[in-house]
Amino acid sequence: MIVCEGLTKTFGSITAIQDFTVEIPDGRIFGLLGPNGAGKTTTMRMLSCLIQPTAGSAHIDSYEIGKKEDAQKIRGMIGLLPEVPGLYETLGAYKNLDYYAQLYGIPKTQREESIKTTLTNLGLWDRRNEPVGGFSKGMKQKIAIARALIHNPKYIFLDEPTASLDPAAAKMVREYILELKSQGDTILINTHNLSEAERICDTVALVKNRTVKIGNPKELARGLFARTISITMQKIPPSLLNDISSLDFVSQAQVNGNQLVLNVRNPEEDNPRVVSWLMKQGLQIQFVTEEEHSLEDVYLKLIEEGGR
Amino acid sequence: MRWRNAWIVMRKDLDEFKKQKLVIGSIIAMPIVLGVVLPLVMFVPMVTMVPLERPWDVHGLLEIGILPDDTRAPWTNQTMENISLSSTVISHKILKNTHLNNCIILSCVLDNTTVVDSTIQNSSLSSSFLNNVTVIRSEGTGLDGRYVLAVSSNLAFTKTKPSDIDQVLPMMFNMVLMIFIIVPATLPTIIATYSIVGEKNNRSLEPLLATPTTDGELLAGKIFSAFIPSMGSTLLAFTLGIVLLDVVLIPKVAYPLLPNLTWILSILLLAPTACLMSVLACVLVSSKVSDVRAAQQLGGFIVMPVVVLTLGVLSGFIFLSPVMIFIFSGLYGGIDLGLFYFARAIFNRETILTQWT
Repeated sequence: MIVCEGLTKTFGSITAIQDFTVEIPDGRIFGLLGPNGAGKTTTMRMLSCLIQPTAGSAHIDSYEIGKKEDAQKIRGMIGLLPEVPGLYETLGAYKNLDYYAQLYGIPKTQREESIKTTLTNLGLWDRRNEPVGGFSKGMKQKIAIARALIHNPKYIFLDEPTASLDPAAAKMVREYILELKSQGDTILINTHNLSEAERICDTVALVKNRTVKIGNPKELARGLFARTISITMQKIPPSLLNDISSLDFVSQAQVNGNQLVLNVRNPEEDNPRVVSWLMKQGLQIQFVTEEEHSLEDVYLKLIEEGGR
Repeated sequence: MRWRNAWIVMRKDLDEFKKQKLVIGSIIAMPIVLGVVLPLVMFVPMVTMVPLERPWDVHGLLEIGILPDDTRAPWTNQTMENISLSSTVISHKILKNTHLNNCIILSCVLDNTTVVDSTIQNSSLSSSFLNNVTVIRSEGTGLDGRYVLAVSSNLAFTKTKPSDIDQVLPMMFNMVLMIFIIVPATLPTIIATYSIVGEKNNRSLEPLLATPTTDGELLAGKIFSAFIPSMGSTLLAFTLGIVLLDVVLIPKVAYPLLPNLTWILSILLLAPTACLMSVLACVLVSSKVSDVRAAQQLGGFIVMPVVVLTLGVLSGFIFLSPVMIFIFSGLYGGIDLGLFYFARAIFNRETILTQWT
């Protein structure tokens, strides 16, 4: 489990992240969302024992971030994919992975086997000695992810894992991440790709130099926005808007063409009442749908508010 | 410190480095051109211009007696005073550092033998046979070795001037030796800047720093990866240079002059400390710049102490004796220690990630 309490990092007069408090249970995918410069990478670097927190504390299992004697233990437990793959471009994929496997102290036979399996799965075994500088961005990113996982870490930190990848490569990386989750790994992802976070994260923290909001992506949307239903009808009489707005369970109403858009407090209870009322008015209903707010809506709303 | 990790870092750097064919070429070629080709260009004309002399070739001048073949005589590194040597045969030997004072040499044979760095004073030679004897850098009651004045029942020596070659060689050797100090101090600027600035440009430091490798292990690996090829190519050129210089000079001086103590101390003490100084300087410079060429140019400034020594030697102000080598090695070692602690202080993860970009 990763536990952060009031984690803060300042660089001179600049505060990168302040008072970051979170608990990440094992086996979960946790997303850090925020605009550029929000402190996501700084937080990840602190948790990777690359930089020291200015204040607050963080623990990975029983080891404390910032404590010199725990740093090596923590680094052995985590696998980090930085924002840029940072591969040795003149070396082949095999040597890139083998270098890290050696630094993690993996015995020779085990690392040979592990690298062979990884590169075979990535379809790169036959090209293992080609300089990785000639590979596509997506391929480099996959090798970099494989490098972060070479020692089978318990905690995986991925900083913008699908940034600059084409949609097919990004999809493949996302599927790979979900596969890792199914193996019980705990994953921390930095991203500003909202749809990605929505698809793969169990919990997200919206940050902008401090924690703006933490929660499940869907719950965050529900907590922030009134639930909206959209009713499509054959014909909407002009007086309907005034009439329906007077109902006590409708907080807001508007008409868009042949769609009536309503905000209700509790769609599960209120929708049947609305439908029944409309039918009593002799109107013919074609569709009733709930409009869901995306994480993007949540993000934009919260980040905008957080910036004020 | 886990040296294994430092070794892994070094091997990876060398693997990467091997791909830079032009850089490798310059690292091998530079010491060979400066330390082997250039000295040969200097020495060969000198050797061919100075005439070969065999001044003690006095075959047949003495009466030949029947003498026992005694080759056990401990002539090398011996000082003999007030003794009489008789009925001794020395054949096909090099007598080096042998000193005779107030001795009588009677009924001896000295055949196909070279006397080097020796003195013979107040002694007499009688009823002896000297055949094809060469004397180099030796003195007697004035023997310099180039000229035996007379061979008679009483041999007397007269002091003469040192030969041209004897005067020129030490100076030239010093100049060549300086090349083997400058080269290992220069080569790391090519390698170390690649291994550190290259990692910066590649953005490969962050994942590396996230491994359990310590700052000290990474620093040691980076130092080795610049130090070992630099010293390796220097040693290669040094060995080659010694062999070729000896081959060129043996016809003149009769025995291999190199490596002597000065050269051995230089390559074992002075060259490595100068090389290390350059490596550490490059680590420091690399932390402040992001361009390999800028790092190489700035790294060149840090070898100023080596330049000072070179200028001193070339101007004749400093003569590279063993004592002088110890003094400069100590000085360089002290600078190395200071640079190492400074490099160690700046080579930490937070500084690298936040200030090295």
